[in-house]
Amino acid sequence: MPTALSSARRRQRHGHSFLSYSTLLLISVFCIVPFFWIFLSSFDGDAQLFLHWPQQWTFDNYTRVFTVEDGGLWLFNSLFIVGCATILVVVLAGFGGYALSRSRAWWKLPFLYGILLIRVLPPTALVVPLYTILLTLNNWESAILRPIFGGLTRDIMRWTGFIDGYLGIILVLAAMQLPLALWIMKTFFDSVSPEYEEAAIIDGASLVQRIRYVLIPLALPGLAAAGLFSFIFAWGDFLMPLIFLSSPELQTLPLGLFRAFLRVNEIDYGLLAAISIIYLLPPAAAFVFARRFLVATFTGGVKG
Amino acid sequence: MKHRRRTAAWQLNLLLFPSALILALFIIYPALYSVYMSFTNEALVGPSARNPSLVGFRNYLRLFGDAEFWNALYVTLVFVVGSAIIGQFVLGLASALALTRRIRFRSLFSVFILLPNAAPEVVAGFMWISMLAGGDNATLSRIVMFFGITPPDWLQVFPLWMIIIVNTWRGIATAMILLSAGLSTIPQDVLEAARIDGARPFQIFRRITLPLMLPTIVLYMLISAVSTIAVFGLIYTLTRGGPGGATELVSIYIYNQSFTAFQLGYGAAVSVIVLLISMAIGIAYVRMMAVKV
Repeated sequence: MPTALSSARRRQRHGHSFLSYSTLLLISVFCIVPFFWIFLSSFDGDAQLFLHWPQQWTFDNYTRVFTVEDGGLWLFNSLFIVGCATILVVVLAGFGGYALSRSRAWWKLPFLYGILLIRVLPPTALVVPLYTILLTLNNWESAILRPIFGGLTRDIMRWTGFIDGYLGIILVLAAMQLPLALWIMKTFFDSVSPEYEEAAIIDGASLVQRIRYVLIPLALPGLAAAGLFSFIFAWGDFLMPLIFLSSPELQTLPLGLFRAFLRVNEIDYGLLAAISIIYLLPPAAAFVFARRFLVATFTGGVKG
Repeated sequence: MKHRRRTAAWQLNLLLFPSALILALFIIYPALYSVYMSFTNEALVGPSARNPSLVGFRNYLRLFGDAEFWNALYVTLVFVVGSAIIGQFVLGLASALALTRRIRFRSLFSVFILLPNAAPEVVAGFMWISMLAGGDNATLSRIVMFFGITPPDWLQVFPLWMIIIVNTWRGIATAMILLSAGLSTIPQDVLEAARIDGARPFQIFRRITLPLMLPTIVLYMLISAVSTIAVFGLIYTLTRGGPGGATELVSIYIYNQSFTAFQLGYGAAVSVIVLLISMAIGIAYVRMMAVKV
């Protein structure tokens, strides 16, 4: 009798793992099938919109990204804009998260609730007023710069402009990622004992010294998590570049891809697939590094 | 000692100030400004671009009588319920449950499931064009033809279904991660005790796992509802709202009204409605998180 029971149970358990394998297999297939086309096409000398096995394998598509199209420029712009935004977010969230964790001020709780609420506001609903505000700022800036620099103004505004300039898009992308990053850093510093700092205070360290020699080394894992997530979400964002960038020399990867795809009759699928793969690799790599931070982040903040 | 603490508080305020300034300038002020804008006839071109004037409730009156606006709201509701509340949740829970078992290739499976989430919006949209568009040559068409079914033109015949599937595909990982975290908090001895008492797996799931998971599930639903309202690039690159508004999410509607039809005031009115809906969900979310703050 006991043997019959246990063998029945074993059979049941066996059935479960079969069920688990088939569930995971089906979901995995669903998840990766769309990637086949883009992957194969990027190595295909004769890529089409539909999936087919390449007749001639080639790296040509990848080299043409940097020779024929402005893929190199798009890549540089994306790296520069998202890189600056990420650094800005990490610095601000590092300081801000520390303050939020250690402060006992009356505004602490309202501020934390505020961050959660802000995180919930859809960027799509903020973009219209944001555009108007930045356009006004941009006109002011241009009105101030034009009498001084004359013809050079456009070149300067390319860097410091709020619309169609690096500064504007960097600030906007950073602002959108800041709430989640602040939240990550606040929770992180909550788990760091204040004793380390107290020891440093007793030794007579100033705030700057404490930050430099005690807090930054302790906070590195938190900063890494905040930075990785800011990078992934800002890198994948399409709306903000679409609204705030227009000139060809500021084109980023998502815009370049999207616009190249609109040129209906002359779409070079192999080239676009190669650009897509290049565009896809950094966040995929970042995800691999970020995997161990995923749970804490997704429960604490809101997914991007 | 007291003096030192006061200095520290002052320093902390200084450390937080830049973040507070950026949030105030780029998120809170725009959110409030959208309310003001929604009462003006501000536009990107034409005479009202120069001198926008207050028009009272005209934008809102137009909005409530606008079938396109109601359509966008309806499409968004179906999209959120279909992809976030049902699609991602069911598939995410299934993969989370399957991954709790001792299984080979665990990390390989989870990398596969994570991959769609890592793909940038435009790349994801681009890949799904190849999956769905192109008649008999589309990848999905060839898959169903293998089973002897005549494929329809997916994005023309079932546009709303298709964007629900695409967004489900993209978000399984988020659901899986959150729900796995919830599953791991269920004490193993409770499950073991039920098993010894002879409870069937489905009973265990129904009577123990699900009730204990309920807070996590509600939290997930709130989080994924607000983030799905914000989805734009993925669907815009795939359908641009078409055909005939069938996939015009409220985010795409705002974009089209504001930056294609250039009516910023009207776009702001729609934004205000979306902000209010999101805030309502957000307040429920904050109340749930309150315990943990």
